[in-house]
Amino acid sequence: MLSIENLSVLIHRPDRQVAALSDVTFAVRPGEVVGLVGESGGGKSMVARAVVGLLPGGAHTSGRVLFDGADVLRMDEAALAAHRGRGAAICFQNPRGALSPTRTVGRQLVDRLVTHQAMSAARARDAARELFEAVGIRSPQRRLDAYPHELSGGMAQRVMISLATGCAPGLLIADEPTTGLDVTLTREILRQFRRAADADGRSVLLISHDLASIAEVCDRVVVLYAGTVVESGPAEQVFREPAHPYTRALLRSVPDVGGRPVVATPGGMPLLTRVPENCPFVTRCAYADATCATRRPPTEPRTDPSGDWSVACFHPQAGAIGGAEAPSPVTLAGDRGAAETKPAVLEIDDAHVVYRSRFGSGGHHALRGVSLRLAAGETLGVVGESGCGKSTLAKLIMGLVAPTSGSVTVAGQSLVKQPGRPRPRGRELRRLRTRAQLVFQDPIGSLSPRRTVADSIAEPLRAAGLAATERAARVAAVLDRMELDRAILGRYPHELSGGQAQRVGIARALVGEPDLIVFDEPTSALDVTVQAQILAVIADVTADTDRASVFISHDLATVRGFADRVAVLYLGRVVEEGPVDVVFDDPRHPYTRALLASAPRLGGTPAPDGAAVQLVKDLEEADATAGCPLAARCPFVTETCRSQPQHLQSYGASRAACWRVPELTALIGKQATTP
Amino acid sequence: MRILRFVVRRLLQLIPVLLGVVVLTFLLVRVLPGDPVRTILGQNASEADAAAARARFGLDQPLWRQFLDYLGGLLTGDFGTSIQSGGSVGAEMALRVGPTLELVVIAVSIALVVATVLGVWSARRANRFGDHGIRLFALAGNSVPEFWLGLVLVLVGYSMLGWFPAPSGRVDPDTNLTPLTGADLVDAALTGNGPAFASAAAYLALPVLTLVVGVVAPLLRSVRASALEVLNSEAYVAASAHGLPRRTLLYGYLMRATLLRLPSLAALVFGTAIGSTVLVEYVFSWQGFGQWALRGLLYRDYPVVQASVLVIALCYVLVFLIADVVHAILDPRVRI
Repeated sequence: MLSIENLSVLIHRPDRQVAALSDVTFAVRPGEVVGLVGESGGGKSMVARAVVGLLPGGAHTSGRVLFDGADVLRMDEAALAAHRGRGAAICFQNPRGALSPTRTVGRQLVDRLVTHQAMSAARARDAARELFEAVGIRSPQRRLDAYPHELSGGMAQRVMISLATGCAPGLLIADEPTTGLDVTLTREILRQFRRAADADGRSVLLISHDLASIAEVCDRVVVLYAGTVVESGPAEQVFREPAHPYTRALLRSVPDVGGRPVVATPGGMPLLTRVPENCPFVTRCAYADATCATRRPPTEPRTDPSGDWSVACFHPQAGAIGGAEAPSPVTLAGDRGAAETKPAVLEIDDAHVVYRSRFGSGGHHALRGVSLRLAAGETLGVVGESGCGKSTLAKLIMGLVAPTSGSVTVAGQSLVKQPGRPRPRGRELRRLRTRAQLVFQDPIGSLSPRRTVADSIAEPLRAAGLAATERAARVAAVLDRMELDRAILGRYPHELSGGQAQRVGIARALVGEPDLIVFDEPTSALDVTVQAQILAVIADVTADTDRASVFISHDLATVRGFADRVAVLYLGRVVEEGPVDVVFDDPRHPYTRALLASAPRLGGTPAPDGAAVQLVKDLEEADATAGCPLAARCPFVTETCRSQPQHLQSYGASRAACWRVPELTALIGKQATTP
Repeated sequence: MRILRFVVRRLLQLIPVLLGVVVLTFLLVRVLPGDPVRTILGQNASEADAAAARARFGLDQPLWRQFLDYLGGLLTGDFGTSIQSGGSVGAEMALRVGPTLELVVIAVSIALVVATVLGVWSARRANRFGDHGIRLFALAGNSVPEFWLGLVLVLVGYSMLGWFPAPSGRVDPDTNLTPLTGADLVDAALTGNGPAFASAAAYLALPVLTLVVGVVAPLLRSVRASALEVLNSEAYVAASAHGLPRRTLLYGYLMRATLLRLPSLAALVFGTAIGSTVLVEYVFSWQGFGQWALRGLLYRDYPVVQASVLVIALCYVLVFLIADVVHAILDPRVRI
């Protein structure tokens, strides 16, 4: 089907030259799902662009990209037009951006059907509806006339998949199709690609930075580092016993819900200016020796039953990844349980937040009665799907939204106007605000582009009215703690890498020595190895005993590393809360079980209870009326669930808002036997 | 339906806006140095003559009294009496608004079409020869003063080539055009007067061309910039990566997305065009609104100035309303 042979792409820019791909060789056979894995900057998207002949200006190529025997790099305009879409179709990374904002999604799909499948417009509309249905879009007839901005992220991704399959391509290329989606949705979307391969016989090239999540649906994987193929082989094999040190580093950087510690690999990917003569991973590799630094390892086959496994390394490793071989496992937050007696830093009592619509009545009920208590030294993890109210909770804690009812206090003080409490103003409010700090999701976007790093970090100190010399001393101290070089102080945010920018963001939160730090998805915008480094930093920060931390994430595994307690949020309510190990190893609530079951695991750690709970619908279709909010999606729903609201009840060490918890284990066993 | 409600709401907003304009212009023209009666009667007129003239125009009354009279007149559709000519301001203005609006509307419409076509064409050939040529043309059009361009066009089009009629008047008097709205082209079309239509069009050609060259530049640059933005957008790249044919790409994915920002800029340009017609009208002896308003201002002819400012404000508000509605129709993300 697709065969890439010694593909090198050199991009010439006026000021510099980038070797985006160097001697990349791999193949995709008909009906096969191949995963292309690596960090950003590794050249994954460049491969995708080369396959559809969409290389950027100034690109010089050598080698061949054979598609059904024809070389894409040497196609003329007409052949390329026929090849794009019908031959290979890309599902783009950011579906909202890749859908034209001024055309209904139905028409965009009809355009593709008319072009590539020679349908009449009326027939194409029927076919479009069927395609929408096939990718799991409910009420497809209505969705045909929707504009992209009216769709949720998951829905937009489904539309994008239907657009690509609507071209009836031989090869479907998916560029990071699940970035920014929840665990439950990720699984569902990935399954769509497997289905495209199994049911329609298409080949699929699945591009992702997360080997663990795609390994399940892939037949084979190709690992890319700095534009070179470092390892390729059967997905199962590579995932279980990766041979190349980079593949191992990649897998170890991903936090696992099973509780395996994250191992951070120092350094970052080099930006190559020409085809490398040594191993590009040499500077970050623990096994590197003089040979690695002088010669590039050739791609050599490994002993494998299928004979398909090859590695480009002088020192291939063997065996599964275990926690034992980790050179420096991240130390976890200590002293659990000791915090119980300390005074509460954060107290939220039955808080509701309603975002009123601008005109008239109605509004969005973002939080529906959340109660939390957090003492100094404690770390609370908050998890849930997007739209469950995580960010609203962060804003509520920071005093950026006022509770509609209920109360929230930080260190005993109120930050916003709330019923029955004095409202702080002016200087008093500014002083109070320094007590709670936020670390944002987008590390670069949350720093002012016109301020130097030094200015940004010192901002909370300036607000507190500290003298310049003291500010400089405090900034220097916090910079050392973040392991940042002093030279970074004079730089501007656009000159920072994502990891550096997030360290600066944490430094800024830390510099005023607040009582509470809220981390709002601090690593979701970062590459996996960088994420591991930042998680190590955060683990260190949250271990401070004089401060409380709240860590918000849709990725369950990141929370497990260092939270003491975890709260699972669903549609504005806490459905389960308890010590992190108890909640993760022995979940009570059906929703928590479903979330944990969807999270990817490294081989070896079985899911708790053996059988997984499968939710029946998507989040957006669930309505929270009377009764349990999960009622519409829960497989174990009864009349009682639909009519009676559920409150947190104690089950062992944790609390869950479900009355059927005692029966659940038996019920799940039954579900597993009779699907 | 939603658009209709929006339009009605915006039209209701017109009332306070126009009231503000009325109050402000009424006060401002009276603050200006200069006395209309003295300007008209000349320095040699006796004090008694001046007082009599003031009494005739009601200028001897206290300010609030004058204002109430003016406001009462406005409500009954009476714009007052011109101090300079002694005629009804309403009637004079009715004669002159038509020709100017005709000029500006035709010029801006042509400029919009030209800017869209050339801008998109230019963006698709970005940094190639044709693109550079068009940008140079736009820059030149923007820099050339209108009165000069008008004169050159008269010299070339009338004196040398003789293709266009002399710059005096708006239609050949021999065609016996019955004036209805004042806009000769519209009148000719309404009365079915073919020769008059051809003649009016011929008279219009050069002044319209002058205006078009002046206003097309900012529109063209904006269209080119947003077309380039769309061409480089992920959405457009995605559509072309799926191998859609050129026609579909152009009309389905490029055009509408490109034109999103045009309406608000076009409304601004329309406003400037009304202002810049004064010079064009002068060069082509176009008995239009601009000249009339300018003369009113020079003579401190209070009722004329007040009426013309009111009409210009009304035009602005209506044009921006149209621009907002068009924008909302083009961009599904805009909620009105």
